[in-house]
Amino acid sequence: MIALADLQRCFAGVLPSIITTCSRSGVPNVTNLSQIFRVDERRIALSCQFFNKTKQNVAENPYANVEVIDPLTLQMYDLDLRFDHSQTSGPLFEKMATRVQAIASHTGMLGVFKLLSADVYEVLAIREVEGLIGPPLSDRDSDSEEAPMSLRTELRALSVVTERLRHATDLDGLLSTLLDALRDELSFEHTMLLLPDETGKKLVSLASRGYGESGIGAEVQIGDGLIGTVAQTQQTIRITNVSASLNYGRAIGRTAQGHGAHFPAAEIPLPGLPDAQSQLAIPLLAHGRLAGVLAVESKNPLGFEEWHETFLDVIGHQVAIAIENMMLRAEAEEAQAVTRSALAPGPTKTMRVLKLCFYRKDDCVFVDDEYLIRNLPGRILWKILRSFVDDSRAEFSNRELRLDPTLGLPPIKDNLESRLILLRKRLEQKCPELRLVPKCRGQFRLETSCNLELIEKDSS
Amino acid sequence: MTKLVLTAELVEYMESGVSLLVGSRDAALLPASARGFGVAVDAPSCTATVFLATAGTEVTLSNLRDNGQLALTLSRPLDHRSLQVKGHVLSIGETDEQGRRIQDRYFSLFCEGLVFSGHQEKLLRRIRYYPSHAVRFQIESMFDQTPGPGAGRMALVAP
Repeated sequence: MIALADLQRCFAGVLPSIITTCSRSGVPNVTNLSQIFRVDERRIALSCQFFNKTKQNVAENPYANVEVIDPLTLQMYDLDLRFDHSQTSGPLFEKMATRVQAIASHTGMLGVFKLLSADVYEVLAIREVEGLIGPPLSDRDSDSEEAPMSLRTELRALSVVTERLRHATDLDGLLSTLLDALRDELSFEHTMLLLPDETGKKLVSLASRGYGESGIGAEVQIGDGLIGTVAQTQQTIRITNVSASLNYGRAIGRTAQGHGAHFPAAEIPLPGLPDAQSQLAIPLLAHGRLAGVLAVESKNPLGFEEWHETFLDVIGHQVAIAIENMMLRAEAEEAQAVTRSALAPGPTKTMRVLKLCFYRKDDCVFVDDEYLIRNLPGRILWKILRSFVDDSRAEFSNRELRLDPTLGLPPIKDNLESRLILLRKRLEQKCPELRLVPKCRGQFRLETSCNLELIEKDSS
Repeated sequence: MTKLVLTAELVEYMESGVSLLVGSRDAALLPASARGFGVAVDAPSCTATVFLATAGTEVTLSNLRDNGQLALTLSRPLDHRSLQVKGHVLSIGETDEQGRRIQDRYFSLFCEGLVFSGHQEKLLRRIRYYPSHAVRFQIESMFDQTPGPGAGRMALVAP
């Protein structure tokens, strides 16, 4: 007997499923389905984005038939269904709505393309469609089915990742350890960790794997795209077969525009891989607060399954708590630290001149006419550079930055640690002549092998 | 009754290797789904023939023989342009050589579209779309089915 759990791959949306319903007067209606969620062992939920004939038919005659396809084997299955009820709120609805919202955001269709209801159906029977799919044409064609990861392997990986995280001593180390562990233990090659900035309106990428240097410092507005939607809704989103999902959203966009709808902005490009086929993003939540978002991508349309989501939810919870604890500990230790005022070395004629320019209007720092950093990390850098040049100071403490009213850090949850990580990494990438070297907890030293020329302008 | 217009552009779209979804129902109004592999449209008579692989379509063929009520949705995977036509079956018979050629041409175009969307051709080639049955039916209504606010709108010409 076939169980719903056996059809999980069919519900991933790689190949579209179809649904047939019938009106009371006996006229059938057949259409593609965009999303199927397995609710439990005997029920599934179908997404309803528009009031349509399917909805009307099941109100008259509750029976429906759905045909799904396994994307790895093309084996088709027929499901006889009976409409049970519609949900317009609650966890199931929120989960399905978040995914729809993410696709809508990607395609610039927020508000037009949204979930109206999660329609729950009882599954009366499941049948395999026999004889339509022939055997593999050669032995090599049958290798597409992968062996599923066993529970034992999953638990071992969970244990190893947790153990590695336990050894991280600072925030930077924690973020790097997490992404390394996910790569080594789960083969997640393309990952990105984003933390909220000081305004709480944006997320900034602080660590990434698989994107070269381009990932660091990337910004995402809360509510925009997959990652922004995850941050806003605090819900995990898994999208398989990304290109098909986005095409579906774009199709809606074209028809909606034909109906007079207006869209404020162009499509928001997906951060990361240009040819990603699967995406998974989870909110890092500590005590109900958003500590960050972990985003994972794959070129495989079936790259992430249900267990990956559960697995990363568990890891994400641990990481969120660890991030919060590290920030709190850093603040407590800084309060006790004594600032030493080491002197900066004076300029010498033999060193090359590094020209840095600060644009006051947008708090933006350029180095030798190339963009370096902006906003709070930009203001912090400029304060440090001014002290270095004007007062010959080389050592600084996090605490003095927190207490400096000109920097404009929020009184609570200032995320200073993460801003300093971003600043340090941007300097490593774009201006290795300037280095922020940690001295002890909550203190660092500015080192440079150049003479600094500082220029301030109103706007660029 | 307003006459349906099957424009040349619409017929070209319908025969261009798009996905074919066939809906039917039995005497107790229980619906059934099947996939078609090939379609030929005759615009002047407003009729079409959809080809159903014999394997796996027993329930659909039984329904169509029993009451003749048929719905066919045509959908292009690349941009989701979709159209649903509804009507009554005129005849059902085993596919002849000419029908087989229509099916072969359809299947090549269908695979081309799916391979372009990233699917494996070697897997698609395992579909046994023949032997099959040719189901000729009268098109009585057409609906724009492209996802969006207008989905379900009755169309008299190409959507």
